[in-house]
Amino acid sequence: MKPAHISRRRFAQIAGSVAAAGLPIRGTTALTAQAVVERLQAALGGEWPAAGLDGFKAGDPSTTVKGIATTAMATMDVLKQAVKVGTNLVISYEPTFYGRQDGPPAASAAGRGGGRGFGGVTADDPVYQGKKEYIEKNGLVVFRLHDHWQSRKGDEMTAGLADMLGWSKNRIKPDDVLFEIPATTAEEVVAQIRKKLNLRGGLRAVGDRKAAVRRVMLYPGAVTPPTMWQRYTEADLMIAGEVREWENTYYAADIFSAGEKRGLVTIGRVVSEDPGMRACAAWLKTVVKEVPAHWIGAGDLYWRAV
Amino acid sequence: MTAREIVDLIKKNSGITWNERSTRDTFKMGDPDAEVKGIATTMMTTFDMLKRANQAGLNFVITHEGTWWNDRDDTKDLTTNPLYIKKAEFIQKNGMVIWRNHDGMHAMKQDYTVTATLRAIGVKGGENSSMRAPVLPFPEATLGEFASQVKRVSGIRAMRCVGDPKAKVGKVLFGPGYATPRMTPDTDVVVGGEQQEADGGFDNVEYVADAASLGIPKGLLMLGHVVSEQPGMEDFAKFLQTFIKGIPIQFVPAEEPFWT
Repeated sequence: MKPAHISRRRFAQIAGSVAAAGLPIRGTTALTAQAVVERLQAALGGEWPAAGLDGFKAGDPSTTVKGIATTAMATMDVLKQAVKVGTNLVISYEPTFYGRQDGPPAASAAGRGGGRGFGGVTADDPVYQGKKEYIEKNGLVVFRLHDHWQSRKGDEMTAGLADMLGWSKNRIKPDDVLFEIPATTAEEVVAQIRKKLNLRGGLRAVGDRKAAVRRVMLYPGAVTPPTMWQRYTEADLMIAGEVREWENTYYAADIFSAGEKRGLVTIGRVVSEDPGMRACAAWLKTVVKEVPAHWIGAGDLYWRAV
Repeated sequence: MTAREIVDLIKKNSGITWNERSTRDTFKMGDPDAEVKGIATTMMTTFDMLKRANQAGLNFVITHEGTWWNDRDDTKDLTTNPLYIKKAEFIQKNGMVIWRNHDGMHAMKQDYTVTATLRAIGVKGGENSSMRAPVLPFPEATLGEFASQVKRVSGIRAMRCVGDPKAKVGKVLFGPGYATPRMTPDTDVVVGGEQQEADGGFDNVEYVADAASLGIPKGLLMLGHVVSEQPGMEDFAKFLQTFIKGIPIQFVPAEEPFWT
């Protein structure tokens, strides 16, 4: 997604709505979820079309915000923790309701999601209902912030991950994915990643576990085949959220079979995006000062069979 | 017999109207009119697999998945890629021919990628299944016990599991490769190959994790794409032996490349 340029009219709209919300006067005007969102929209800029991915996914935007929680994915466990720490506006990078559609299909599209196709969750689904009830009962509001965080603050996802891995100072070029770390081995790097990101069962690696590692590449989220073909040999280890196994994974496997020692580590899409949303919480504190902003990691949702 | 003649025989014997417009099921490299010394069936034409097939004297590779690391086996951006050049040279130097059979296999009345994997993970009742397997019952167990059984009997090393390991489960829905099915109300455990983890058509990972958090017994086992379909290529080799005689036909597995 390319950064969108904010139109003059849209800027006026956002600036106007921020002013109308009367936010700077603490204690006199309740800070609503809508007002927080308008403020972050103005700060990030860009167009925010109603049909875009980013937007309110659950709860009432006129709710008074007590605190903000950011996360890679607003799972039930994240929502429970958000309530526990006294936050009620949850800002999630990934969907809340099980897919890009983020909830049941609109009435006009009903029926398309049936069977084993890939329509969204159905309105009568017990997991969907249970989560929605929890959100309503606890007065939570969930807002998805994906495209605009990625396009306006694209580097924060990588910088956030590097920061959590302790590699912020190891970046070779600004805004790039390449890092030079103290000489080690692939399995040592994997052990560090596991510890620092508190991983459970989602990590998988390809290549030689004893391979020497100096240069690593960080790709939170997903990596496409063309990116991999272009850049894979620049580093000893590519660390990504997820890839398509039958495409990228076997590119790494074939490079290894061809005699090169470099490797690929996939840590899981969501855990790779959690640190970037930690960076988002830090950024929010500079934009919304009236209420606390916390990061709540969605964590590694996988475990391994014994 | 030439590779092209063998492919024609496969099309005739698969029991379906062959889709000649499939962009997947085509020759990927080598001369289709080359004389076939032996057939290797495999899940994916990996470099490692090619070396083993060549060593075994099998020069015609029938692969279920791709050769050039993208679903369409598009090579226009790869012509100067050193790995592509190395792998292509190996194929050509050794007179190998590669043909993919993906869409055709999944269209067969019995989809071997489904029936063989259900057998390999110890689930009964799907012996004649098409690509869309029904929800199948198995003796009730905890999700942790079922996952252990799947891992033990299949030998899959890098399987990933989601859900409460203590949840009681007894009904499984399987889909091969990237056709991991979405969770349904009458399914306890979805077993698939791989799936985009989030922001897709239906995000099983988040759904099953939330179900666990709400106390609803659901589970997800992600086997890995290649291993989730691989046993089907062994069955496909046996199927080929029923109508291709006098040529060695062997299953040469693609490696499960992961360490964890």
